[in-house]
Amino acid sequence: DTWRYAFEEAMDEVQGKFAQKFKEEVEANSDHEIQLFPFGTLGESADIMEQAQSGILQFVDQSPGFTGALIPEAQVFFVPYLLPADQDQLVKFFRESKTIHELFPPLYADQGLQLLTMFPEGEVMMTTTSAVQAPADLDEVKFRVMTNPLLVSSYQSFGATPTPLPWGEVYGALQTGIIQGQENPAFFIESTKMYEVTDYITRTGHNNFTTAVMANLDFYEGLSDEDKKVVQDAIAAAFDYIIDYQTGLTEESLKKIMEAKPSMTITTLSEEQRRPFIDTAPAVEEEFLKIGGPKAQEILDQMKADLAAVSGD
Amino acid sequence: MKLDDPHAPVPDPDVLAAAEAAELDNDIDDSAYVSGLPGILGVIDAAIARIEAVLLALGVLLMAVNTVANVVGRYVLGESIFFSEELNQALIILITFAGISYAARHGRHIRMSAFFDAMPFRMRKLMMVIIAAVTAAAMLMLAWYALDYVLTQAKRGRLLPALQIPQWWIIVWVPLGFLLTGLQYALTAIKNVIDKDIWLSTSTLEGYDDSAEEEV
Amino acid sequence: MAFAIFGTMIVLLLLGFPMMIPLIAGSLIGFVALFGGVGQLDTMVQQILGGIRPASLIAVPMFIFAADIMTRGQSASRLIDLVMAFVGHLKGGLAISTAGACTMFGAVSGSTQATVVAVGGPLRPRMLKAGYNDSFVLALIVNASDIAFLIPPSIGMIIYGVVSGTSISELFIAGIGPGLLILLMFSVYSYFYAVRNNVPVEPKATWPERGVAIRRALWPLGFPAIIIGGIYGGIFSPTEAAAACVLYALFLEMVVFREMDMKQLYATAKSTGLITAVVFILVGAGQAFSYVISFAQIPQAILGGVGIDQMGPYGVLLTISIAFFVGCMFVDPIVVILIFVPIFAPVVKDVGLDPVLVGTIITLQVAIGSATPPFGCDIFTAIAVFKRPYLEVVRGTPPFIFMLLTTAALLIVFPQIALFLRDLAFAK
Ligand code: NA
Ligand code: NA
Repeated sequence: DTWRYAFEEAMDEVQGKFAQKFKEEVEANSDHEIQLFPFGTLGESADIMEQAQSGILQFVDQSPGFTGALIPEAQVFFVPYLLPADQDQLVKFFRESKTIHELFPPLYADQGLQLLTMFPEGEVMMTTTSAVQAPADLDEVKFRVMTNPLLVSSYQSFGATPTPLPWGEVYGALQTGIIQGQENPAFFIESTKMYEVTDYITRTGHNNFTTAVMANLDFYEGLSDEDKKVVQDAIAAAFDYIIDYQTGLTEESLKKIMEAKPSMTITTLSEEQRRPFIDTAPAVEEEFLKIGGPKAQEILDQMKADLAAVSGD
Repeated sequence: MKLDDPHAPVPDPDVLAAAEAAELDNDIDDSAYVSGLPGILGVIDAAIARIEAVLLALGVLLMAVNTVANVVGRYVLGESIFFSEELNQALIILITFAGISYAARHGRHIRMSAFFDAMPFRMRKLMMVIIAAVTAAAMLMLAWYALDYVLTQAKRGRLLPALQIPQWWIIVWVPLGFLLTGLQYALTAIKNVIDKDIWLSTSTLEGYDDSAEEEV
Repeated sequence: MAFAIFGTMIVLLLLGFPMMIPLIAGSLIGFVALFGGVGQLDTMVQQILGGIRPASLIAVPMFIFAADIMTRGQSASRLIDLVMAFVGHLKGGLAISTAGACTMFGAVSGSTQATVVAVGGPLRPRMLKAGYNDSFVLALIVNASDIAFLIPPSIGMIIYGVVSGTSISELFIAGIGPGLLILLMFSVYSYFYAVRNNVPVEPKATWPERGVAIRRALWPLGFPAIIIGGIYGGIFSPTEAAAACVLYALFLEMVVFREMDMKQLYATAKSTGLITAVVFILVGAGQAFSYVISFAQIPQAILGGVGIDQMGPYGVLLTISIAFFVGCMFVDPIVVILIFVPIFAPVVKDVGLDPVLVGTIITLQVAIGSATPPFGCDIFTAIAVFKRPYLEVVRGTPPFIFMLLTTAALLIVFPQIALFLRDLAFAK
């Protein structure tokens, strides 16, 4: 059969790389063919999600932050300083987390989706037009965030003025000075050229951009055991591949940015400098518990337990 | 203007007529709207027409106020109206779907009529019946699937991220707009069958500027 | 299947169906064929909504509204009087000023549709009065507004930059040369048009007369200040500038000039809503149609057959130009960029073409496409706003399309038109 797989990024970005590997694996191990639909070709993120729910698409990649409109609990990935900053711990978390492998699948199933995997896309960094070392530096800074209440609340707690802006206007707005900052993983800052219109990249370590791959539930349940295994194996192979691909991706992207713009200043905040940012996290947790749906508390607790398990505390 | 300068070449009268027409006040006078429906149905239809008009005007005004308020909020209060974009989305959907039936009512939908206009009267009349009937069918079908879409969205429970209200609330206009548009075209088809003239909509005769026509 | 769909659409269009019907029929046939029935028509509705949802589209009704208020009141005519005081005595002066105003407004607003309305709305009646033919006026407005895409900020270039991984700053700078070249060509054409058709000129205004014109235009000069100062000064996004213009226009016409009362305000808002609806339903239906083309991977199928990887750089550039030109005749420009750029990217790399040059050519083609029959969104907008028949709106177009295509050809042969400024700025 022909299976269709849509994702939120361009072909050469992380989600696209994952999808290409998945396609390669499935096509090598079965007679099925996979068509890939990158960002925008079948609509926006919410559109492709709905199409996966109605079975037009067999596979979809959507980041939990966007899924939050449908499954409020998924917004937990926007709570700052929850995911480990250490890459090895992070990978271990995604492999072993009970939250991801046991608590989330039924929530996705309620929406007609089979959760296949979640994986990290890279450390979220701030790009700004002036230096950021402490929350005080974000005072009066109009910072573009996605229209998500937790992101708004995070940046409010950091002291910035969160400014929702459609993605297409962000570049121009940074250039003319309507906004002075935005956040994204390094590869995305590089590929979307946000560094051209900002001067500082700050690694605050507050989050790692997470994304999830899902299948239409009826489609998945209707597969033969053999085909299910093909899908699961391909997901596992793509997961390993993407973790491997990512090792060094952040550094490589930052290197490309420095080559393209030597005047860029990249700062990694020390543990001590991060402290005042970390101190704002409980306020956002509160907010998450308010809007995170009926299972918010359970998810947050389990998430912390999972993290304790991987960090060996 | 120095067009009356005796030494200037005399402009083409067609061009002048176009210039006059371009400045003509093309507003639709809602109080002059006569429903194509008889009796109580006509009263309901005229009331719907009035509601559509008010929604159109209010939607546009609200959109301007909302957008500017966001700027004011950002600079004066240091706080963006984070739901501003979603409100504009809701308004544009409202405007579009209140507007398509209002446009159908007044024969304002864009069409390419060059070949149509060149046909003889009987052909044109027949074509107009077919066009109105096919358009009505398409609109009613979309109304049905739009309703289906709204119900599906309601069942899925998608929320608007900033406003935290169900997304289907802002799309309820969609099936309604398609339905009312479909009904207008269906009535137009009927009117063309029973009346001797050719009608673009139940209140607009073909070949006339509808602003002029409605003053009849 | 693709040709059956395109054929049906064109026939329905020519028969005089409301223009949303060919687009809806095209996507309907596609959906039924792709999904073996009506089971997935929900998604068609979803896509129609997706087409009208982008936040940046809000600028269109806002500029329509502002322009309508200005035109009904005094603001627009005072601004035009000011322009006329300086160029009214020159052959083709008003036409050249219109082209210039479209370039400037389009450059800043970034929206070709908003430009058609905001500049064309007030200037068209004046051009007609001055003796220009309507089909020339309409074609000039629609095509000059294309320049909006080439001069920064340009949403088309941003999307191209992201999808192809090309520097957006470099693209922005590269667009300026071709943009100005087009303006120059249009100006020269306008001059010869005015000479050949013997468009009358006004006597040269004296300096005192010019002084009066300036004084009368002081308040309305706030509009360019809001738009240009506001956007480049980092106060507004283009959408917000549009809304600010609405409020400023209301302030001028209701408070300062006292030209407008509540009743007229209501009528203007309603008329704006009506035009918006009529245009946006087409944008939405167009999006549903784009979805079908994209889902069925029709471009991939057609382009797979032409053997593009066997061509040299000129062949590739020519194929790209044709593909984008044809694609944009039927489908929304942004969608065309999203679908086509990844297909062409490997070939562009292989033959060693400068991605900035390719991006500039693509942006130009996309701009041309949005003003080209049968389904160009600028044409819809012009029909809705000016209430002129379709053929009237497109009749004067061929010379302009010819000039635009000439620019594209010149760009292919002399890439320096685009790259000169870029190389200067980025010291390459
Ligand atoms: Na522009
Ligand atoms: Na077009």
